[in-house]
Amino acid sequence: MRRLLLLLCPLLLLLGGCGRNTGPDLSRFAPAEEDRLVLYTSHKEELYGPIIREFEARTGIWVQVETGGTSALLERLEAEAEDPACDLLFGGGADSLQACASLFEPYVSPLQEDIQPAFLCPDGTWTAFSSLPVVLIYNPVLIRTNPPDSWDSLLDPAWRGKIAFADPTVSGSGYTALASLLQALPGDDEALLAAFVNNLDGQILESSGQITGAVADGTCYIGAIPEDIALQAVRKGQDVALLCPKEGTCAMPDGMAVIAGCAHGENARRFIDFTLSEDVQQYLAEACFRRSVLTERQGAEDVLPALDYDITWASGQREELLRRWRELTEEAAP
Amino acid sequence: MKKWIQRSFRNRMFTAMLLAALLPLLLGGALMLRLQVVRIESGLARQADLRLRELEAALTEVYAACGDLAEDLAGSTVVHSALRRGGTESRTLYQVLYRSAEPLRDCVRFDIYDGEGRCLYTSGGSLPAETLDTGWGLLPAARASSGIAVRTGAEEGLSAARAVRDHKGDLLGYVTASLDRSGFNRLLGGHYDAACEVLLLDRNWRTVYYSRPAQARDTAEALRSQLLAGEPLSGTDGDYRYIAAKHPETGFTLILQQPRTFTGQVMEAIYLVSAFVGSLCILLSLLFTWLLSRYLSEPVHQLDQAMGEVERGRLDVRLEPGREDELGRLAGSFNRMTEEYRLNLDRSVRRQRELNETKLRMMQAQLNPHFLYNTLDTMKWLGVVHHTPQVAELATGLAAILRAGIDGDEIVTLEQELDLVERYVDIQAIRFEDRFTCEIDVAERFRSCLVPKLALQPLVENAILHGVSDMEEGYVKLWAEEDEGDLLLTVSDNGPGIPPEILEKLNSPDKRIPGGHLGLFNVDSIIRLHYGPRYGLSARVLPGEGSRVRLRLPVKREEGSYAESPGG
Repeated sequence: MRRLLLLLCPLLLLLGGCGRNTGPDLSRFAPAEEDRLVLYTSHKEELYGPIIREFEARTGIWVQVETGGTSALLERLEAEAEDPACDLLFGGGADSLQACASLFEPYVSPLQEDIQPAFLCPDGTWTAFSSLPVVLIYNPVLIRTNPPDSWDSLLDPAWRGKIAFADPTVSGSGYTALASLLQALPGDDEALLAAFVNNLDGQILESSGQITGAVADGTCYIGAIPEDIALQAVRKGQDVALLCPKEGTCAMPDGMAVIAGCAHGENARRFIDFTLSEDVQQYLAEACFRRSVLTERQGAEDVLPALDYDITWASGQREELLRRWRELTEEAAP
Repeated sequence: MKKWIQRSFRNRMFTAMLLAALLPLLLGGALMLRLQVVRIESGLARQADLRLRELEAALTEVYAACGDLAEDLAGSTVVHSALRRGGTESRTLYQVLYRSAEPLRDCVRFDIYDGEGRCLYTSGGSLPAETLDTGWGLLPAARASSGIAVRTGAEEGLSAARAVRDHKGDLLGYVTASLDRSGFNRLLGGHYDAACEVLLLDRNWRTVYYSRPAQARDTAEALRSQLLAGEPLSGTDGDYRYIAAKHPETGFTLILQQPRTFTGQVMEAIYLVSAFVGSLCILLSLLFTWLLSRYLSEPVHQLDQAMGEVERGRLDVRLEPGREDELGRLAGSFNRMTEEYRLNLDRSVRRQRELNETKLRMMQAQLNPHFLYNTLDTMKWLGVVHHTPQVAELATGLAAILRAGIDGDEIVTLEQELDLVERYVDIQAIRFEDRFTCEIDVAERFRSCLVPKLALQPLVENAILHGVSDMEEGYVKLWAEEDEGDLLLTVSDNGPGIPPEILEKLNSPDKRIPGGHLGLFNVDSIIRLHYGPRYGLSARVLPGEGSRVRLRLPVKREEGSYAESPGG
């Protein structure tokens, strides 16, 4: 019987061999380990695509990109902490990165001194990439005089039901706008929130992407929105004008951080240096409407009045504010 | 399984034949299939290599031509002066551009940009309206490079740029060459088969060109991540083979996407057919090896069974001859052997019977000495001569009895036997001075029956000597009757009866000849030897009436075929 099995084995192998037919081995085309970089990003492809391609073209390093929301990516990094697959987290609010400082390996770029002091991380856990302030927009065709120039305008009964605002329970930038509003205006937060919801009059949009459209087509007159979206709308020629609230605005940077214990740390640091380079920062401003974090690119006309935005308060109050928001909107709804 | 195989000759033969039939068949089939696959695949691979070399050559040619042309243009004084002057009106430059770009105009577009990124001249149809970003991508790369900088388009396409500098090294503008998808279509089309697709990837495996635009992005990304993960390249679905070659001048990778001949579906069909044919073969081999093993093993099996029968004593078992081969001859030998054995057995049985008859004659010889007869004859004549008639009568009777013992057949009629008995009774009557009477009551119809010679006389003798000899009024009776077709001859007396120990011996089936009553036992032995065990002698004692001895014999008459050998 054993001899019989011995006889049958080659037959089975032969038959099995027919099934798998993988074609020629192309592994020699694969880059060496030192020419690789794996990064997780929460940016959109329009933003990271050209930057990564340029990085590849300049350095010859092969970049592998995994995308996802900031919190999902942070969870994934946490899970992989023992044996990180990723080298660099590209994108994500500086506050979120700071909260997970243990996942990252501090890096102080040689270009650090060119960065505006407001965007510096004291211990080098993260490096600022760009800043994205929330601005007010209005329809310049409908509002010819006295455009809204303050967070207070959002509570002005004159614009009741004509305010384009993204649902903060869904949109991250919507929440940032709401938190900025509450921090910028004096008075009881509860009362401010109630007044604001009342002034929205049930007009709540699902995402910040819809705001420019609503303002441009006259459905709404004014809105609050991240600056790059507003600038893109302007570039497209929509009837949108933007201005910064006079109380100032939240301008939290989004950052990058090298993962602790990663395989290609050197390439990750090269990528950080590359994104801080003049070329990329200029490209950010011109093509992506994001604000550079470099000091010398901060033109005088660009300076926005900065709001003393309390990140800790904003994240601490988030649950409570959103719960209150839901209650108020449900009350307002018929 | 193993036990089943070892259990019988046939199973072993069946297994061996099945394996011998199936293994080469299945092995051969699998080998053929494999060979066919390998042959076709290697043919495809050769073809793909050829195509790839062609594509590579086309790419190299265009690349070199573009490089030369860009260098020429960048160094051309016409270009320099046109760029220095600005504006788009230099007819000479257009002529130079058209003439030199002529061979490549099908696929490559040459543009001349000023230092601000505005397009001033083009070999294409119309000037592009948008300016090129001088701070990002291609133009800064060209500025930084002393030669030609190459950039891949965001989605597809390829552009190369060469900075134009005057003799002092100041930037005047840029010469660019760009290949879009239609350019690549014209450049690479015709160098590969219709079923194949071509992918051109840059150094980092970003898509430059894919002959199938719809899938370009997905496929290239799938291939790239498979390469980086170290997996075999299978694209988005597994039905293609990817053959790649690196273009040495650019570092780009050319990939030929070849449809697999043996896709899952085709292999499935092949396996299905193979499985069908295979199972057909298995069924046929099973059937034929079964039949063949039966044909071969059946005679052996029959022989085995016949042997068993013979061992159990059935000697008339015979095998069907029916076959001409060794097994047929073996069956014949078996038949002859059993026949021989049977004859041998018969012979030995017959010898044994002959021995028994000899023994019988020897027993009869005990009663049969010749000289007694002659002496009695002399005594008779002496009695006559000396006038003592009783002596003569005694001698005559005794002589008659003796003669009957010596002469004639062993089987006599009851008539003759009764005559003998009467003579004996006469002799004993003289001896016992008529103290007993003997009555013989045998119907005429029994008198012709055949009985062994001297079968009755010992019975009568026993009745006289052990029954009535000491009595004054002795009575002996002999009579015959028929019972269930047997003849019963009974002798009774009114004597004291046979002693119980003798009676028991007489009636027991195993009759050893004891010291006394020898005559009765002899008679019993003779009858049993002649007619078989169910016949013979029985005795009983009736209290107050004396003993009664009875012979049971088959009814046989002289007309019957008694001459044949008795017993049976």
